[in-house]
Amino acid sequence: MSQANVSNSTVIAAHDQILHFPKGGKPNLAPNEWLIWNGSQDEGGLPDLEHGKQNVLVPFAWWVQHHQASDIQSKTKAGHIGVWFAADDDILKHAELIEEGKKVWPLVSAHFPIFRDGRSFSTAALLRDRFQWTGEVRAIGDVLIDQLLQGARVGFDSFALRPDQNLDVALKQFDLFSETTQNSWRDKRATLNI
Amino acid sequence: MYKYDHIDQTLVDQRVAQFRDQVARRLDGSLAEEEFRPLRLQNGLYHQRHAYMLRVAIPYGLFNSKQLRTMALIAEKYDRGYGHFTTRQNIQYNWVTLEDTPDILAELAKVEMHAIQTSGNCIRNITSDAFAGVAVDEYVDPRPVCELLRQWSTLHPEFAHLPRKFKFAINGAKEDRTILLCHDVGIELKKNTNGELIADIYAGGGMGRTPILGSLIKTGLPWQLLPSYLTALLRAYNRFGRRDNLYKARIKILVKALSPEEFARQVEGEWLFNKDSDVNFTQAEWDRVAKHFTKPAYLSLVKLSDQQVINTASELERASFARWLERNVKPHQVPGYASVILSLKPHGSVAPGDATTAQMLAIADLADQYSFGELRATHEQNLVLADVEQSKLHELWQEAKKQKVALPNIGLLTDIIACPGGDFCSLANAKSLPIAKAIQERFDDLDYLFDLGDISLNISGCINSCGHHHVGNIGVLGVDKDGEEWYQITLGGEQGNDAAIGKVIGPSFYADEIPDVITNVINTYVNQRSEDESFIDAYRRIGVTPFKEAAYKNAKKKEKAEVAGDAS
Repeated sequence: MSQANVSNSTVIAAHDQILHFPKGGKPNLAPNEWLIWNGSQDEGGLPDLEHGKQNVLVPFAWWVQHHQASDIQSKTKAGHIGVWFAADDDILKHAELIEEGKKVWPLVSAHFPIFRDGRSFSTAALLRDRFQWTGEVRAIGDVLIDQLLQGARVGFDSFALRPDQNLDVALKQFDLFSETTQNSWRDKRATLNI
Repeated sequence: MYKYDHIDQTLVDQRVAQFRDQVARRLDGSLAEEEFRPLRLQNGLYHQRHAYMLRVAIPYGLFNSKQLRTMALIAEKYDRGYGHFTTRQNIQYNWVTLEDTPDILAELAKVEMHAIQTSGNCIRNITSDAFAGVAVDEYVDPRPVCELLRQWSTLHPEFAHLPRKFKFAINGAKEDRTILLCHDVGIELKKNTNGELIADIYAGGGMGRTPILGSLIKTGLPWQLLPSYLTALLRAYNRFGRRDNLYKARIKILVKALSPEEFARQVEGEWLFNKDSDVNFTQAEWDRVAKHFTKPAYLSLVKLSDQQVINTASELERASFARWLERNVKPHQVPGYASVILSLKPHGSVAPGDATTAQMLAIADLADQYSFGELRATHEQNLVLADVEQSKLHELWQEAKKQKVALPNIGLLTDIIACPGGDFCSLANAKSLPIAKAIQERFDDLDYLFDLGDISLNISGCINSCGHHHVGNIGVLGVDKDGEEWYQITLGGEQGNDAAIGKVIGPSFYADEIPDVITNVINTYVNQRSEDESFIDAYRRIGVTPFKEAAYKNAKKKEKAEVAGDAS
C-alpha cells in the first residue's frame, strides 16, 4: 500500500484501491491512480512522477503559489494534477482560482486530518452547491468506514480510505439506509404521497 | 402527539441495524475504541464511572404511556429498575452493557423512540416547552416546528462532526420555559401582523465553562426557511468554530469572537445562496406533521374556580390538596382542564429526576386514565400530565401520592435540578446527588418552603453545567481541588424571560458546609425581603453583599484560605 518511489513522509497514506460511488451509480473499487502529495519538500517542487504514479493531488495552498509555473501548467494540461483542500482552507476566499481550476483539474479532494473533524463535509457541500463542481470529489486522509455514508451524501463520490480499513465492509455502508429526512447533494428527503 | 410514518420507522430501524453492526465490529476488535467512541455517543451511549450509560431521546419532551411502559421495562430488564429524567428532555439508564445496547435500541424503535444524537458533536435532541399546546400564554404551538426540525436534523450528514455539541431550544409562549438563551440556537416562534408563523433566531448561548446568553441574530424568518437558514448558520460554525481547544469549541465562543453582528452577517451571506432552495419546508410537510398535534378530544366543560376544585376534597384534606394545586397544577387553554406536574423530587431522594420501574408503570396508567395517554418531561426533571379534567384533580392527587410523586414542591427550594454528578458521571469533579439530598433534608418543612416561595437551586457536578447551576437563583458547582471535592456557590441566576447568569460569590466550600451556607443565604433573604418579594427580586434589589457575608460567616476559614483566589 505504500506508494512506489516516493518517500512515505511526503504523501498522505491511502488505500491502494479507491472506493468510487458515482451519483446515481453503484459503489465499486478501482486502483488508486493518484498520489496525494502532502506538500513537504516544497523546495524541489513536485515529487518525482516519472517512476511512480503519474498523477498527483497537490495541496491547494501550494497550487495557489505555483500553478503558473510552466512545468506545472504542462503537467496540468496533460491531466496529471488535481488539488486537495485542507480542512482549514477557506475555499470561498479563492472563488476565482477555483472557478479557473474547474476547467483543468481532473478531480479535487478534501482532507480529513482526523475522522471526527467534519469541516471537509462542508467543503464538499460548498464545492457542489456553490461552485457547481460536477467532477469527482475525493475524500482523503483519515477516512474511515463509518464516515462514508455522510461523505457520500454531502458531495464526495470517491474515497481514498485509510489503508487499514476493510473495503468489503466499506462497500456495504451505502445500503444501510433507504430513507433520509433532509436533502443532500445525492438525494432528496423522503416524502409521503399525501 | 406525533406518530411515525413508514419513513421515520424505517430510518430508526435501519439506524438500529447500523449500530448493531458497529457494536459487533467494536466487540470483534476491528473497530478501535477511539474510533467507536463518536459513533456510540451519537447513539447516546456514554462510558461512565461504573458502566455504560444510555441516553434516550424524548423529542421536545413529549411521550405517551406506551413509550413510558417500554422505558419502565428497559429499566427493569437492562438496568437496575430505574431511569433518570434529564435536564434536556431525555431519559438515562446508568447500568447498561455495550452488548445489550442494540437490543435496547430495537425495543425503543418498536415504540417510535431512539437515542439518535443524544450525545456527540452534532445537533442534539431538540427541546421545547413542556406545556406546548396547553399553556395559556402560548402564541404558537411549537410542536410542528419541533418535529419538522427533529426530522431535518436527524442524521444530517454535513453536521455529523461539528466542533462540539449543538443544542436547539424552541419556544412559542410569552414566558420562556426552555432556557432559550442558554442554547446554541434558540428559536422563538411568533406570528407576524398577517398571522404568518415566523421565527426569531438567537445564537451563541450556552452554559459550561463560559456561560453566555444568546444574541438575537435574525428576526422574522418565515418558518418555511428554517432549514436553509440553519444550514447557513451551522455551516459557518462547522467551518470556523474552534477545534483546537475543547473548552472553546462551542458556537458561543465563535459568536463572541466575531461579535454577534459579524456572525449574523456571515450567516446571512451564506444564506443568500440557498435561501430559495428546495431544502426548505413545504406546506405539505407542515400539514403532514401538524395533523398529529391537533387538540385531543376535550369534553365541553365549565371552568371551575380554585375554590370549587379545592372543595372536591374532604375537609380534612383540603389544606394539603390546596398546596398541591398551588404548586403542581397549572392553568390550561381549555375550560375545565388543567396541567399537572408530578414531582420527581421527593425530599431525600436518591437523585432528582429518578423514577423507578414501578413508578413509571403507574404513571403510565395515570396518563391513560387522566390525560389522553400522553406525558411530557420538563427540563426541571419532573413529569407533566398536560390535559387533566379539573374535576378529577383530587382523584389524580390521591393516586399520585401513592406513587410518591405528589410532593407540592414545584418551583420551591427542594425542586432541585441536579446532574448525576460524581456518583455516576466520569466527567464530574464532585458529587451532586448527596448535596441535593442534604439540602432537601435540611429544608424538609413544607410550611417553610411555601413561605420562601419561588426559588430555584441547581447543582452541577462539573463545569459542563448539566445541572444548569448558572441559571439557578442559587447555583452549586462541584469543583476539584487537589483531588478533593469542593463546591462553589453562585447567586442571581435566573431562567425565563429575565434569564441571567449567576455570579460566583467567592471561594469554594466543603460538601458538609453546604446546607449551612444555603441556610445562611436563605435566612438573609427572609430577613431582608419586603412583603411578597421573591428571592430573586430581593437579590436584585439588595445585591450580593449581604448574601455573601452570610454565606461565609461560619465557613472553615483555614481550609478556605488555602484555596482563596482560586474561585473561578
